[in-house]
Amino acid sequence: MTAGALPAEPIEPIEPGAGPPRPDLGATGATDTTTSVSLAQSPDPVPAAPGAAQLAAPPVALYVHVPFCVSLCPYCDFVVYAGALARGPRSQVAPFVEALTAELRLRADALDERWGSARPALGSVYLGGGTPSLLAAGAVGGLLELIARRFGMAAGAEITLEANPGPDDRGDLAGFAAAGVNRVSFGVQSLDPTELRALGRRHEPHDVAAAVDLARGAGIASLNLDLLYDIPGGTHDRWAASLDAALALGPDHLSLYSLTLDDPDAEGLTGPGGDHLPATAGARRWRERARARQDDDRAADQYRLAVERLATAGFRGYEISNWARPGHESRHNLAYWQRLPYEAVGPGGHAFDGATRRWNAARLDAYQAALRPIGGARPRLPPGGAEPLDNATAAVEAVILGLRLDSGLSRQAALAGPLGPHLAWALDRGLLTETAGDRIVLTTDGRLLSNELFARLV
Amino acid sequence: MARLADRLHSGVVTIPQDRLRNFSIIAHIDHGKSTLADRLLEVTHTVEGRQMMSQVLDSMDLEREKGITIKARAVRLEYLAKDGLVYGLNLIDTPGHVDFSYEVSRSLQACEGAILVVDAAQGIEAQTLANVHLALKEGLTIVPVINKIDLPSAQPEVVMEELENILAIPREEVILASAKEGIGIVDILEAVVARIPPPKGDPEAPLKALIFDSHYDAYKGVINYVRLAAGTLHAHDRIRLMASGAESEMLELGVFRPQLVPVQLLVAGEVGYAATGLKNVREAQVGDTLTSAVRPAAEALPGYQEAKSLVFAGLYPLSGEDYPLLRDALEKLHLNDASFTYEPESSVALGFGFRCGFLGLLHMEIVQERLEREFSLDLIASAPSVEYQVQLIHGPVITIDNPSLLPSSGTIEEIREPWVRLSIVTPSTYIGPLMELATNRRGAFEGMDYLDPQRVLLKFELPLAELIVDFYDQLKSRTAGYASMDYEETDYRAANLVKVDIMVNGEPVDALSLICHRDKAQSLGRQLTERLKILIPRQMFEIPIQAAIGSNVIARETVRAMRKNVLAKCYGGDISRKRKLLEKQKEGKQRMKRVGSVEIPQEAFLAILGMGEE
Repeated sequence: MTAGALPAEPIEPIEPGAGPPRPDLGATGATDTTTSVSLAQSPDPVPAAPGAAQLAAPPVALYVHVPFCVSLCPYCDFVVYAGALARGPRSQVAPFVEALTAELRLRADALDERWGSARPALGSVYLGGGTPSLLAAGAVGGLLELIARRFGMAAGAEITLEANPGPDDRGDLAGFAAAGVNRVSFGVQSLDPTELRALGRRHEPHDVAAAVDLARGAGIASLNLDLLYDIPGGTHDRWAASLDAALALGPDHLSLYSLTLDDPDAEGLTGPGGDHLPATAGARRWRERARARQDDDRAADQYRLAVERLATAGFRGYEISNWARPGHESRHNLAYWQRLPYEAVGPGGHAFDGATRRWNAARLDAYQAALRPIGGARPRLPPGGAEPLDNATAAVEAVILGLRLDSGLSRQAALAGPLGPHLAWALDRGLLTETAGDRIVLTTDGRLLSNELFARLV
Repeated sequence: MARLADRLHSGVVTIPQDRLRNFSIIAHIDHGKSTLADRLLEVTHTVEGRQMMSQVLDSMDLEREKGITIKARAVRLEYLAKDGLVYGLNLIDTPGHVDFSYEVSRSLQACEGAILVVDAAQGIEAQTLANVHLALKEGLTIVPVINKIDLPSAQPEVVMEELENILAIPREEVILASAKEGIGIVDILEAVVARIPPPKGDPEAPLKALIFDSHYDAYKGVINYVRLAAGTLHAHDRIRLMASGAESEMLELGVFRPQLVPVQLLVAGEVGYAATGLKNVREAQVGDTLTSAVRPAAEALPGYQEAKSLVFAGLYPLSGEDYPLLRDALEKLHLNDASFTYEPESSVALGFGFRCGFLGLLHMEIVQERLEREFSLDLIASAPSVEYQVQLIHGPVITIDNPSLLPSSGTIEEIREPWVRLSIVTPSTYIGPLMELATNRRGAFEGMDYLDPQRVLLKFELPLAELIVDFYDQLKSRTAGYASMDYEETDYRAANLVKVDIMVNGEPVDALSLICHRDKAQSLGRQLTERLKILIPRQMFEIPIQAAIGSNVIARETVRAMRKNVLAKCYGGDISRKRKLLEKQKEGKQRMKRVGSVEIPQEAFLAILGMGEE
């Protein structure tokens, strides 16, 4: 029962039959899938009592970061290399895939050593970026085969690949599907041509329809579209139109993100060992101008519109930024919010073993140097960092991540915990509400103002 | 020279009194005082080239950042003059800003002469006049220097004319120099030696040393900067402070080069430091006279007048538990800067703090910054105020330096406020805008003198309260930065003044109360509420902001309720970053002061300063 690896009560379990057909890649490394149920610990992320031990466990999800794009978008702060590094004669993509392969092997070796080879199989793999659709289908197939062999792949595992909708970089969708990809996430951002240009995107609205057709034609059974609201200079009407146009394309899942122009340099994330790359001067200028044209009031209205319209369309807002038709919730992203252990490879990738958060540094040169050393030396794990979580931090994370989901928290347990007074305050202020199932969940107001609660918890 | 200096440090060589010269450099801000001081140190090999950095004497970070001198500082130079003799020169560096004229006059009392530096391109400025008058009042010999003659825009002829016309300085006494290019430095040193008289004072008489400054050293305790008026001080004498009566064994005696260098003895006329071994800052205050415990002087030196505070504001720790730290910090800083005053007060909005008196707004800003930097405190300052005299009906006159304490209008016969005489030096093209500015601020025009055909000295009388609220910024912005100003207090005058209270979310915030002229209350109330609307961040509920005179609301604004504060970006599996972003939000909230249920940022309490001209 692979869906047992997804203990998201009261989220409807994703039944293998109800969701998209999932190819069985041969769960060689993982035979005892029932183990994963117990490893997932409590399905309900109730705050751990102080003093409770943080239990490490083997991963049930794997993130693969592919740090290449045809061009940089000025608002994006994921680890991305673009231009000649991404395609053409000087492309670094092929050597990168070799390095990635080496890292996958080293991470699998470490897991074997720590947990033995009979550990549970992965419930999800997520190829994110960057633009993973720039990879050749053969490369994707090779990676997935290696992953299945070394990490184990549960029957019906969710295998997502992020793709751009444009003809330049949407890649070989049929080939990806044949390689085992069963979920595609398109970086649509907007379906308004003016907004797309303002964002520096390369595709046009009609490319999105074409890409969706191609994906569906290739047999991709679960399809996500990413959209952005609070776009500089955007309007409520344009947002409504984008949303309707996206719904008209028949997606199974929508991720609606508020365009957020963070400053990774100011956050101290871009040093030599940092997990982010420094913003370019052009991107900094763009963000400065763009921030002045954003508007919290408009963004709140846009969010509320989405809440209403997507509910009418049969989508469930199962997380602050994520909506899905029943059975199409992203199993991979749920692992993040449910604090299940996940592995990560690629520059800037973030992993969690249940007790410690770990990340790879962002710099591609250092990544390559470690994994493809010159002169036949043995590959070693790339530079990065780790942060062991103390019990209090883990408890706070569990509450914050748990409340991001519409399943919320068990009322009694949460209010009795050390963070109870803050949660009681939020109930009193209408940020939280009680459900019939004796749980507490964020209201729509509460979602929009969730940081007011969360900042009290950290 | 270096060897000679070494011998002096060892205490073997003492320069006879008739070859000592004590002098200051006085100048308007930016006329090159610190650069000239650097050059004098270099030419006399006091600081060797490899240790030389600019603004040697401005060792405080704040001074380097702002490019100004805040604290007076002393340095001992040895100069081999053209007559073949070695002279000991004590240079006492002084601040240039109007707020610090008290500090300047104190330094000047330790000198017999002053180098007056005037910019060859800019000529006499308001502060030049003020400082020259201070120096003349102390009977100092002035060595006039026109600096920056290397500038293409230099007009030494015009400036000489100004000096002659306005200050009666003969042009043949003026030395032309460029401190930057090293031109005229030796001429200046020769003039110091030739024109400034040596100090007087009998080395055999009982010791009298005036404390003109001091600082606290964690290891050596109180370090007093002294000028010996009479007698001789040895490194291990037992000393007594005449005002406090405290006695102690000296720990160390020395001179400034500019770092502290120990010597064995100092004689009458000399300037140096005395580490007294006293630990309590109150026992060795600036202005006290240091004498020998064994053979004390009969009477103390005149000392200093207390600095007069003109601007008052409350300083409060952001976090209430830092109150004792603030108290200690004020005590220690006061030793180094005796020109501010402080006494405990409490505020409904801000809790326990101190009402502090300052020489001016810049002084206030600097004291606050020094407290925050040197003592790691987070502070909130309330809006600055002047000191009012309030005549109560059938009652006494009370003084009020905190607007929130003004009694209700029914009990007041009359309110009097301090006035100043304001001097502005400006290119004559800006007379119009400056007249308008002064008139808007209730100023009265007193007269105008032409310094030269292009530049005038304008004189006004003005309520001090009108001056302390961004008058200087307005002056600079209306004259493209060309005008300069100086002021001195004159008298108290009655005026039709009212108290404007500010209510945030229905609760009066006492720290935001202000006193202003009735005719201006309406527009000030409106501006202040508008400004607060911008400064107070949106919160989870709507926040009304009202200005009121008594129970009569004169202005109202609303901070609308916050509608969105959510992490709704794709951070993937990077949970750490989300958590850190939330922690940063929490820190931001903790830096705000909670008044009732509203979080008010520190800047809001100074909103009155940032409003600009209506």
